[in-house]
Amino acid sequence: MNKVHFDQLDETLYKEQLPNGLEVYILPKKGFSKTFATFTTKYGSIDNHFVPFGGEEPIKVPDGIAHFLEHKMFEKEDGDVFQQFSKQGASANAFTSFTRTAYLFSATDQITENVGTLLDFVQSPYFTEKTVEKEKGIIAQEITMYDDQPDWRLYFGIIENLYKNHPVKIDIAGTVDSIQDITAEHLYTCYNTFYHPSNMVLFIVGAVEPESMMDFIKANQSQKTFEEPKEIVRMYPDEPIEAAVKERTLEMSVQKPKVFVGIKPEALNLSGDEMLKHELAAQLAYELLFGRTSDFYHQAYESGWIDESYSFDYSLENGFGYALIGSDTAEPEVLAREIQHTLDNAMEKWPFGQADLDRVRRKKIGFFLRALNSPEYIANQFTRYAFNGMNLFDVVPFLEALEVPDLQAAFATVSAESQRSVFTILSPKKETV
Amino acid sequence: MFQTMNIAKGVNVHVNETTQFKTINFSLKFKDKLTKEKASARSILANVLQHSNEVYPSHTALRMVLDDLYGTSLYIDSSKRGNEHIVTLNVETVNDQYLSEEGVLEKVLNLMYIVLFKPNLENGFFKETIFNREKEAVKQRIESIFDEKTRYAQQRMLELALPEHPASIPANGTLEEVERVTNEKLFEEYQAMIHDNEIEIYAVGDIQAETISAYLKEYFKFEDRETSVDAPAVELVQPAQSRVVEFEEMKQGKLHMTFYTPITFRDEKFPVMQLMNGVLGGYAHSKLFVNIREKESMAYYVSSSYASQFGLMFVLAGIDSKLEEKAVKLVLEQLEEVKKGNITDTELDQTKALLVNQLREALDSARGQIDIYDQYMELTEAFEPDYLISKWKAITKEDIAQAAQQLSLEMTYFLSGKEDDSVE
Repeated sequence: MNKVHFDQLDETLYKEQLPNGLEVYILPKKGFSKTFATFTTKYGSIDNHFVPFGGEEPIKVPDGIAHFLEHKMFEKEDGDVFQQFSKQGASANAFTSFTRTAYLFSATDQITENVGTLLDFVQSPYFTEKTVEKEKGIIAQEITMYDDQPDWRLYFGIIENLYKNHPVKIDIAGTVDSIQDITAEHLYTCYNTFYHPSNMVLFIVGAVEPESMMDFIKANQSQKTFEEPKEIVRMYPDEPIEAAVKERTLEMSVQKPKVFVGIKPEALNLSGDEMLKHELAAQLAYELLFGRTSDFYHQAYESGWIDESYSFDYSLENGFGYALIGSDTAEPEVLAREIQHTLDNAMEKWPFGQADLDRVRRKKIGFFLRALNSPEYIANQFTRYAFNGMNLFDVVPFLEALEVPDLQAAFATVSAESQRSVFTILSPKKETV
Repeated sequence: MFQTMNIAKGVNVHVNETTQFKTINFSLKFKDKLTKEKASARSILANVLQHSNEVYPSHTALRMVLDDLYGTSLYIDSSKRGNEHIVTLNVETVNDQYLSEEGVLEKVLNLMYIVLFKPNLENGFFKETIFNREKEAVKQRIESIFDEKTRYAQQRMLELALPEHPASIPANGTLEEVERVTNEKLFEEYQAMIHDNEIEIYAVGDIQAETISAYLKEYFKFEDRETSVDAPAVELVQPAQSRVVEFEEMKQGKLHMTFYTPITFRDEKFPVMQLMNGVLGGYAHSKLFVNIREKESMAYYVSSSYASQFGLMFVLAGIDSKLEEKAVKLVLEQLEEVKKGNITDTELDQTKALLVNQLREALDSARGQIDIYDQYMELTEAFEPDYLISKWKAITKEDIAQAAQQLSLEMTYFLSGKEDDSVE
């Protein structure tokens, strides 16, 4: 077992890769009562075209299958795994994102038993046509619930605008129609391809004793047999740099219009240190341009173009990413235009110097240290970073090393007019009687 | 957990000295009576005070100094508990130990003083432009509830079931009352908040209780104030209608049911009701989840919640609009099971285990420690988890059944997605 101490953060991380390929990380937190564990596969909604385990030819699977599989992992021949976690005093849950499926629990008692349950249930698939059919009604209601949420529709609307071919444009849960095609056989195919321990990370953080926990995990894993790991072949279509659709609107029952301006990054194949540096630099550049101390924010807020729902964000994965800026607004056209002006002006003449960088860097370091109080943040983010070849605990040194030209260079790749798109939600025009 | 010091009559400082966190958290809670007028005015006030002040006269200037203090977070929010309205100044700053700079804490305390005592005034009132802008912001916040249909449906049901009751008064006030607040009125509310409100001040982190309370006493100079006698709970009257259906342009139907119970937060049976709610619909092992979601496959979410301050229990479900009747029937059937005491040992043990876990977990965040301590202060002087855990442990199925028998269904509210469900 390797042990790495991060002096500046006062954290010690224990890690080991097991013979079956599983990467295990343990981070004890002083003073905490709870333990939070995530067991995550590098498999999300974008992995819909791949060579199945043991096969030769790539196949395409129905939209929403990774999320469907996540739901079905909880049901076993002898009942529901939630029941078992509840008996052991653990709150369990799971989520599916574009790139990951994570199973998790938090508990303040019976930690070893709960880790055992987590490993065992994710490593023993049980799917039948009957249980698969039964789940369709539940997931249809979940999809319908999201369909009624304007903020979710806004988020997906802008991503659909930005991407022409990449499966990130497909809703994570699929559609009510697409999930009807899912069968137990599909689920086994996806499970066998993506749930091999060599494609997974186990992260445990909180009130945990690293040595004995690692021994327990090793014993648990050594009792199970797995096929030899094979490299997973995932197929992604070519994606142009330009935004696929420049502008689109949707009508929904909302009190006020909502708008997002999205910008697609140019560099979509980064990983490791290069990715970390780019992501942090671009985030700081966006903070300077659109954060709460920016000229843009001041003008937009005082002019009433934005309200408390205003947000901006930049995130990047391998193959896709997006910067998003938007708000509920009575003037979606003015807001979208002003956001684009701000981007144009910064492209023409970079307005920020050392003092600006120092300020937003301090803000970001503070945010990161605050986040390290949260076991959930650590486990989820560490896993996301690890799947992209980055280390979460490098964030502070990388931030400290950034220079003004780095921000400028990162921004230059996430700003061009051709990479932008606008998505607006409007309330339907009421007929006046 | 917390050491309590009184720094003026009606002003208490509670400090938890701990190295568990990398940050230091402060909460200053200003407590007043909950009315629509007060909630509305105090929500604007919260916004105005966090916008800017005499020393940092623009929003940008204030946010810049916070960024410089390693992204210290500072915000003021409006909330309610029972009959009380609470304005809270929340501040979180990184412990110097993790920074290459010292003296951050002192600067943050000074900034908290400025935010509260050096407002941005013009001719003796808040700056008119800021007042108008923040009034607008609060109105927009209230209006935005409509976009989240679950929150909207819950608010509609409470307004219909219990108009004018504290349970239905939103913490941010109402559009009508926000509109009526004048700049003069706002300044009066500000004076009342600083000089007359009861104040609970919390600090959690690697700090010394004595130092913090001495600092607050010396620099903040809060005067003595009258401590109000606990206002009695407002009685629950029967709603004018027992079933209401409304329509919106949406796909899913939102079922919201309100039950009354005589068991409130201050009742000795309060822990029994917590368990009863858990057995019925608090968790993924609960009766509602197992039967309505897992067995019937008719909902993604279906749960119950207990608003102990008012003696209310709610059941919420997102369902197909055609299935309202069936869903109500199934919910009542499950409640009937609880009333009859048809609860397995496993259900009882699971619910107890998860309540314990939830409580212990919540205490793993500074914010959780503050909220729980503040909430239980009126029941027990120095809250410890065992205060509740020992009570939960002793509860039997019969206790739970008895608590369930005291529930009465008072309103079923359905926000339906389709106007005409006869067409299929």
